[in-house]
Amino acid sequence: MPILEIRDLRKTYRSASHELTVLHGVSLTLDEGDTCAIIGPSGSGKTTLLGLCAGLDDATSGSVKLGGQALEKMSQDERAALRNQLVGFVFQSFQLIPTLTAVENVLVPLELQGMSGRERDAEELLAQVGLEKRLDHYPLQLSGGEQQRVALARAFIHRPRILFADEPTGNLDADTSGPIVEMLLRLNREAGTALVLVTHDPALAARARRVVRMGGGTIIGEEEHASR
Amino acid sequence: MAPRRGLPRSLWSALFHRWTWRMAWRDSRSQRMRLAVFSMAIVSGIAALVSIHSLKSSMEDGIQGQAKALLGSDLMVSSRQAFKPEEEKSLTAGAIRVSHEAAFSSMLSFPANGSARLVQVRGLDGSYPFYGTVRTTPADAWARFRQEPGILVEPALLEQFSAKIGDKLKLGAKELPILGVVNKAPPRSNRFSGFAPEVYTGIDQVEGMGLLGGSSLSMRALHLELPATVDSKKRKESLRQNYPESSWRLETPDDRQETVGEALDRFQQFLGIIGLASLVLGAIGVAGAIHAHIARRVPVVAVLRCLGCPGNLAFGIYLAQAVALGLLGALLGAALGIGLHMGVLAAFRGSFPITVEIAPQWAVVARTTSAGFLVCCGFALLPLLRIRNISPAATLREGATVSGGRAAGWRAWPVYLLLVGALVLLARLNDPEGIRPYVLVAGLAAAFAVLFGVAKALMFLTRRLVRRSWPYLIRQGISNLHRPRSQTTLFLLSMGLGTFLLVTILLARNLLQEKLHAPDAAESPNVYLIDVQPDQITGVQDLLKKQNLPVLESAPMVTMRIASVRGVAVTELAKTDKIPRWLARREFRSTYRDYLNPTETISAGAWSKSIAGPDDPVPVSLEEKMAEDLGVKVGDAMSLDVQGVTVNAKITSLRHVDWSRFNLNFFMVFPPGALEGAPGFTVVTTKVPDSGSSGALQRELVGAFPNVSAIDLTQILETVREILSQISLVVTVLAGFTVLAGIPILVGTLLNGRDMRLRESVLLRTLGASSRQVRTILLVEFTALGVLSSLTGLVLAVAANAGLAVKVFKAGPWPDGWLLAGAFVAASGVAVIGGLLLSRGVSRHPPLEILRGGA
Ligand SMILES: Nc1ncnc2c1ncn2[C@@H]1O[C@H](COP(=O)(O)OP(=O)(O)OP(=O)(O)O)[C@@H](O)[C@H]1O
Ligand SMILES: [Mg+2]
Repeated sequence: MPILEIRDLRKTYRSASHELTVLHGVSLTLDEGDTCAIIGPSGSGKTTLLGLCAGLDDATSGSVKLGGQALEKMSQDERAALRNQLVGFVFQSFQLIPTLTAVENVLVPLELQGMSGRERDAEELLAQVGLEKRLDHYPLQLSGGEQQRVALARAFIHRPRILFADEPTGNLDADTSGPIVEMLLRLNREAGTALVLVTHDPALAARARRVVRMGGGTIIGEEEHASR
Repeated sequence: MAPRRGLPRSLWSALFHRWTWRMAWRDSRSQRMRLAVFSMAIVSGIAALVSIHSLKSSMEDGIQGQAKALLGSDLMVSSRQAFKPEEEKSLTAGAIRVSHEAAFSSMLSFPANGSARLVQVRGLDGSYPFYGTVRTTPADAWARFRQEPGILVEPALLEQFSAKIGDKLKLGAKELPILGVVNKAPPRSNRFSGFAPEVYTGIDQVEGMGLLGGSSLSMRALHLELPATVDSKKRKESLRQNYPESSWRLETPDDRQETVGEALDRFQQFLGIIGLASLVLGAIGVAGAIHAHIARRVPVVAVLRCLGCPGNLAFGIYLAQAVALGLLGALLGAALGIGLHMGVLAAFRGSFPITVEIAPQWAVVARTTSAGFLVCCGFALLPLLRIRNISPAATLREGATVSGGRAAGWRAWPVYLLLVGALVLLARLNDPEGIRPYVLVAGLAAAFAVLFGVAKALMFLTRRLVRRSWPYLIRQGISNLHRPRSQTTLFLLSMGLGTFLLVTILLARNLLQEKLHAPDAAESPNVYLIDVQPDQITGVQDLLKKQNLPVLESAPMVTMRIASVRGVAVTELAKTDKIPRWLARREFRSTYRDYLNPTETISAGAWSKSIAGPDDPVPVSLEEKMAEDLGVKVGDAMSLDVQGVTVNAKITSLRHVDWSRFNLNFFMVFPPGALEGAPGFTVVTTKVPDSGSSGALQRELVGAFPNVSAIDLTQILETVREILSQISLVVTVLAGFTVLAGIPILVGTLLNGRDMRLRESVLLRTLGASSRQVRTILLVEFTALGVLSSLTGLVLAVAANAGLAVKVFKAGPWPDGWLLAGAFVAASGVAVIGGLLLSRGVSRHPPLEILRGGA
């Protein structure tokens, strides 16, 4: 069963005076445990697409099925609950909550599920990304790469079945981004989490089984590596 | 897959969930300084509310106490006969102090030059009056006349006789030395027949004269001071029931309040306005602070939503934060308010002639704190509701804000309704009568709507108006008004409403002051000349003119009694207690004219200017309180005994009379043509500058028109003026206090916008803008906002003032231009200073700190 199914997705931004169509009918299907990189020039609609897939925004038309459930038929809160169960998200600009420590940031998805007392899991995950000494630091006290690793731990903590990452290494140098890429792929291998990566980095794109190329709001090409 | 049991989805259970509160606590971490600012808004709002309402209640008590000076005691019992010992015993039971009085009319003469005059002699013992002061020259004369033989007179009498202190006056067979002059007299013992000047002496002098007898012109009175726990009105009622046969007159301070009643009414209304305005001011501060706080928390909420947090839960976190801070702020505010209340009382204790107890008013504190807390929470809900509109998509792009436009959408309507309801409830607490509380709240809502509209119009206009050809700094400053994250709406609402409320309070204060000083106005008379015969009118008027005194009014007067009401004789009605006894006995002085004077307004029916036919009942207009006592309404018939002739009349209108002005006012007014045939005389009123000229006038009059008597009201007016000036001082203190409490709240709302501009200004700095350039941009923006919001606030205040002036205070609608100009400069000045403060912050903070810490 596909974990993600997109059919003829369109998105138009309307403001008082302008109307801008950003996505012109995008269709894409992703199987459980698959990995997919989305590449394309700036402004081609990658972030928009990712946001729609995770139910962060409403599409103008078309449908998105996540884990077999149609997002457009769900309320904001139902979508939030579904994300909490199925989805991990890593943002280009980290998006840690500035008033929470590293550990607390990582724990938020579990707490939202009503679980408490899982500090050990969070500490373990942070140790895996090499931050065992920075557990109680606030985001402001961490460098960009460290913040991104905390964000990654937060995206893993609740064992999502699909993880969206919007340029997870875009703000980082090669030395820092290496371990992050490895972590993402290990999660895919070990937990079977499907990955959708938006990236400008050809090296990272090459590690995905499928590479989707976007341009001007549609998919203009696709490559598949049959086996990895 | 089975849904896992997550956190609560409903707001209600979210609010009782531990995680909500834990998150609220964690989320406050680096925000605590800012949240402290938010609490400051609540603290200062509640402090203002508590202290204003406490002061209000302390002073209300004090002012009510002052009105007792109009009677001088808590209860006065007067009678034509001497009280029997057992009657006196039961009448005075439980009284703290008692003074006895024996009074009669008599000729007082000055043997040295043979002049004489009819006076009301009052023999007193004890320490009457218990309330209010009596001033004499020499100062101890009021105490002395009870211990040694002697007499006290009004200054005008001394002047009229050309006598001096120490001279002997002759009263009946007795000669008494003048002990002194009464500059401010005690209340008159009979407010209706008090035409003759009063003189004072010891009660034993009077008793020894043998003049009292059973003469209808003599009177006995008991003045009682009652313990604070005894309600004098209830005491009066029970005495009436215990002695149904007695013909005593029983008076409480309430019965004498007509001269200050109107002023007290207005005072109450003014306090109501101040109370509501101070509450709304605090609430504006709170709403502004919460709004700014939420605007900063948008990214956090977006992330939480992205990670799967239900909307109600996110809302719950910030509601919990607001409630917790609100409670804390309310408690602190209440404590501060109590402190301020006591401080003001202590500081002004010397200057308040009224006695106020320096103690917290706990009931008032509890009531206003809880009411203030609820209203502040209600106002805080408006920005909090926007949390539900924060889209998780905001995580995808930098600098996203709460989606504008729809704002909180339909969800906000119940909150608006709730707020209006709460405000109406509060307004009714202050002023439970009639539609006034609704009008106040409707006015507030209208002001809110107008300011909102002006803000939107400004944003629309600046979006169109700004041209590329404008200098960069101006263009930038003006464009800030309509950009995303602009503070235009918030600023106009808070600053505009603040200006509106404060200026309205100041203008209302002026209106009230004008009212309070009415007795001083040139057109308010203080001497009545009565018994002027038709052929003497021009002569009397000429005499006044010769002395450089104005002829203020001149009205014909006919005395009459009420014979029957709706066909039933008044003596019958009085026997069964259907009407007060004095109405049945009293001799009314009525007039006829075809116009209303400035102190009268028709409250029911229509004013009739002429009589219909010779056989029709005569139209009459009654004073509304008298009509109430008589139990009559427009259309009822009554018959009058005009010195033996029965006149049938029909009530065609009721009038509201403002008695505080001492104009010639009458309980009954007839149209011309009805009473011309009846024996009567004319009353002429004038205003004298001092009692010396009153004496000179009386001396002249006695010579030229011996039948004309002058009634000198300056003594009575002195008491009234004293009470009014005390109210006036209280009003000034309260208004000043509200304004002082309001200014920090307004400055606080100004600083709320600070964060939004700070980051942008720092970015400009890093791009190479000089601090002067940054300052200019901010100044342009803040000056535009300040000028517009204070202008709008002023226009609204002028409108509110016109409404108050015309509808409530019966005054001209145009306010004092200087006050408006001053308020405009002050309000815009506050805004400009706010802008300057902000730019100071920009150059003080290292850019890196702000760029990293922002969001
Ligand atoms: N709220 C909005 N209103 C109008 N246009 C928008 C809005 N958000 C995004 N866009 C437009 O949508 C287009 C696609 O944006 P998107 O962020 O998806 O591009 P992207 O492919 O992620 O680019 P990049 O590689 O630079 O991140 C852009 O042209 C952008 O200007
Ligand atoms: Mg992007």
